[in-house]
Amino acid sequence: MNGVFTWLPDLLLVTMLIGLGWATVSSTDLKRAVALFIAFGLLLSVAWARLRAPDLALAEAALGAGLSGALLLAALRDEPSAGDIRKDLPFWQRSLVDLLTVALALPLAWVLWSVLSEPAPSPLAERALSALDRSGVSNPVTAVLLNYRAYDTLLELVVVLAAVLGVVSLGRERPGYRQAGPVLSSLVRWLVPLLILAAGYLLWVGAHAPGGAFQAGATLAAASVMLRLSGADRAGLPVGLALRASLSAGVGLFLLVGLGLMGAGQGFLHYPPAWSGGLILLIESAATLAIAAALGLAYLGGRPAGWEAGDPDPSHKERRP
Amino acid sequence: MTELLVWPIVTPLVAALLVLLWPSRAASLGIAAAVLTLLSTFAVVWEVSRDGVLELALGGWSPGLGIALRADGLSAVLLVMSGLVSLAVAIYASVYFAGSAQRAGFWTLWLLLLTALHALFLSGDLFNVYVTLELMGLAAVVMAALGGGREALQAALRYLILGLLGSLAFLAGVAMVYAGFGTLDMAALAGVVTPVPVAWVALTLMTGGLLIKAALFPLHIWLPAAHANAPAPVSAMLSALVVKAALYLVVRLWLELFDGVVTPAAAWVIGVPAGIAVIWGSWAALRAARLKLLAAYSTLAQLGYLFLFIALAATLPAGESRATVMTALVLMAISHGFAKSAFFLGAGVVMQQAGHDRIADLGGTARALPLTTFTLALAGVALVGLPPSGGFIAKWQLLTTAITSGQWIWLPVVGLGTLLAAAYLFRLLGHAFAPGEGVGPRLAVVREEIPALVLALTATLLLGLGAAGLWELVPLSAYAGRGV
Amino acid sequence: MSLTLLYALTGAALFLLGLRATLLRTELLARVVALNVSGAGVFLMLVAIAYREAGQPVDPIPQALVLTGLVVAVSATALALALHRQLRERSDD
Repeated sequence: MNGVFTWLPDLLLVTMLIGLGWATVSSTDLKRAVALFIAFGLLLSVAWARLRAPDLALAEAALGAGLSGALLLAALRDEPSAGDIRKDLPFWQRSLVDLLTVALALPLAWVLWSVLSEPAPSPLAERALSALDRSGVSNPVTAVLLNYRAYDTLLELVVVLAAVLGVVSLGRERPGYRQAGPVLSSLVRWLVPLLILAAGYLLWVGAHAPGGAFQAGATLAAASVMLRLSGADRAGLPVGLALRASLSAGVGLFLLVGLGLMGAGQGFLHYPPAWSGGLILLIESAATLAIAAALGLAYLGGRPAGWEAGDPDPSHKERRP
Repeated sequence: MTELLVWPIVTPLVAALLVLLWPSRAASLGIAAAVLTLLSTFAVVWEVSRDGVLELALGGWSPGLGIALRADGLSAVLLVMSGLVSLAVAIYASVYFAGSAQRAGFWTLWLLLLTALHALFLSGDLFNVYVTLELMGLAAVVMAALGGGREALQAALRYLILGLLGSLAFLAGVAMVYAGFGTLDMAALAGVVTPVPVAWVALTLMTGGLLIKAALFPLHIWLPAAHANAPAPVSAMLSALVVKAALYLVVRLWLELFDGVVTPAAAWVIGVPAGIAVIWGSWAALRAARLKLLAAYSTLAQLGYLFLFIALAATLPAGESRATVMTALVLMAISHGFAKSAFFLGAGVVMQQAGHDRIADLGGTARALPLTTFTLALAGVALVGLPPSGGFIAKWQLLTTAITSGQWIWLPVVGLGTLLAAAYLFRLLGHAFAPGEGVGPRLAVVREEIPALVLALTATLLLGLGAAGLWELVPLSAYAGRGV
Repeated sequence: MSLTLLYALTGAALFLLGLRATLLRTELLARVVALNVSGAGVFLMLVAIAYREAGQPVDPIPQALVLTGLVVAVSATALALALHRQLRERSDD
């Protein structure tokens, strides 16, 4: 009986996940909560790897822990007093929420137990894998994302666009950072090209190995965040029409391909098998650009100078350390 | 020609990108897109009434592996309502936002909201529905915040957090569906779902999430502030369409997909809060100090009625009487959609002219803005449910079915709700017709007043007199072919 | 007890932990963090459902759904934080 030893790492991992999750959501110090959340995200990417989801492990590290963490850290900087500002709800409300949690927990646990203790065959997974040779890529996750369920991915890019347009229309960007010292600047000068290379690699490799547009876009956005942190106002983003065009590139190219195929009598987003590999790479390249621009812009926290023609372009005199 | 189903989704999406690239053309692009979208929804309803249910397997992959778009009677009717309301809102907004700094933000997000709504109405896949819900939620939140004031931002933030919680619960339910039944395709699910515990938990999670978004009592707390503090064209979209999208999904789940799982006893879980919502919402509307707040509380009450229909239909066996209740529900939903959007647009005109919307200080409005006062009155008639409005026919159907199925309890609820609604309408009109100089005659705002009037006329006259077609169209269902 | 079940239950626990904290906390930043933890719980349930023992291919569909969900979550986080910042600036006036 070697049960305990094979289970030990998993038990350790889930215990740490729940413990970190608990500590994250119950921390009364916001700084601490954000730091714990980033650690939680990194631990989660270990869980993804353990559950044989390497695409997700990459995406979680870049998006979940990385960019969400960066966004939260930037938001923390705006908090006037990042101390304990917890206000307690009245007792009856807390009890109600606790009651609701328990009322959900028991049936949920019971149902998961009854459904998942017997491994059930998934006919859908088999169909997904057997159609792989007609999908144009050999990474099954990429096949689902960009071929079988490409329409989901199109709408998801629209979600990203809507969110970032929301950020832009709500107000101006936050003031930039002071010019970094020589050490950090030269480090960033080295790192940014590396990140761009890494993004290109992730994009290319996504067709047959873990990677793809989202991971690549997030990596590219990380380069933009670094530039911003080192004091570059534009954070490597283009200006005006070029910026707006990059934001719409993902959705735009997706639509162009979809409608083009429809015009050619194929049906919306119905790739001819011989072309699908190429079309997928084309769509993913545009999506990478759009995601990077959107996430980079989201990090600025608002409308950048020169967003639209005639937009006042105040030079940022205001700096924060 | 099932490729047709793509157009109501793609047309506003393409227009949104064009507005992003050429913001100076925003209003004309927006109106053009609204016209084309409306035409595409007409085409969908035409095809559905001629050929029945339409299905498009996207990407050529069979539904299940791929995603299917489906249009049936229910979704086609809601699409047309959305198309009509949005065209009226577009014409109104082209005046309302002219020269305003919020202009560019409004048009792109408005077009994305339209994309989300139509994608939701046509989606045949549960995870895809989740994506459309998120898109709709984020676009709606930003639009609710466009007013820019402190109250609007606070309301939008609360709307965002609760909305995200709702979508998360919905997604957890979708995960349960996948774990239990191995599919995300709604038609396939309708065929395999059985009353087992996993179906119960999945339905509870999804419904809980949707009830937050549909603001059913007591999950409504976010709605009044969010709807009342948004710019008028946005309030019209939120009250007429966005809450309806969540309601539409509850109808799909309770009366079609999980039809075999929902028991008459479960119907009370929706019925009781719905009854409270009717009375409480109407009461709060009667006591509201501001015109837009009145409209927002009235939305809560109207949503109560709509959920009453769902609760009632869930107790009936599949058959003709259930199909009748469902049709009456749809009639009530679109009637409210037209009436409430007309009301909010009218309220916007009053607010622009008077500089405020305090009901007690509206004296003189009827003289200064006769057309808009008439619009508010007409919309009110449909909201109260007086003949000949669509609301009247629907409520009549609700009452007769409640009587024939022995559920007398709903009679006093509907009666009291209607009396309270009449009271808030007459209170409003009383103030509007009172003499006063509250409203100074300013430049004509006919391009704002006409779209609102057309919507109000649609709710009262067109739907009241021309609703016959609905009784054949709505029972055409993509998911309940075996039942209803 | 299978690995799938272990991680699915963990996911359910995180989902509820986050849900509870979102409803209980009052500071926006804490609520956003709680929502993200809750979302991670749902994602973990989905990926656990997709898991298969070594030797069998995993189900790629839930994994793709989670990838979509992750991107949506980051977008929503960005929007919530931007709204929060605007609100804070209005309060400072």
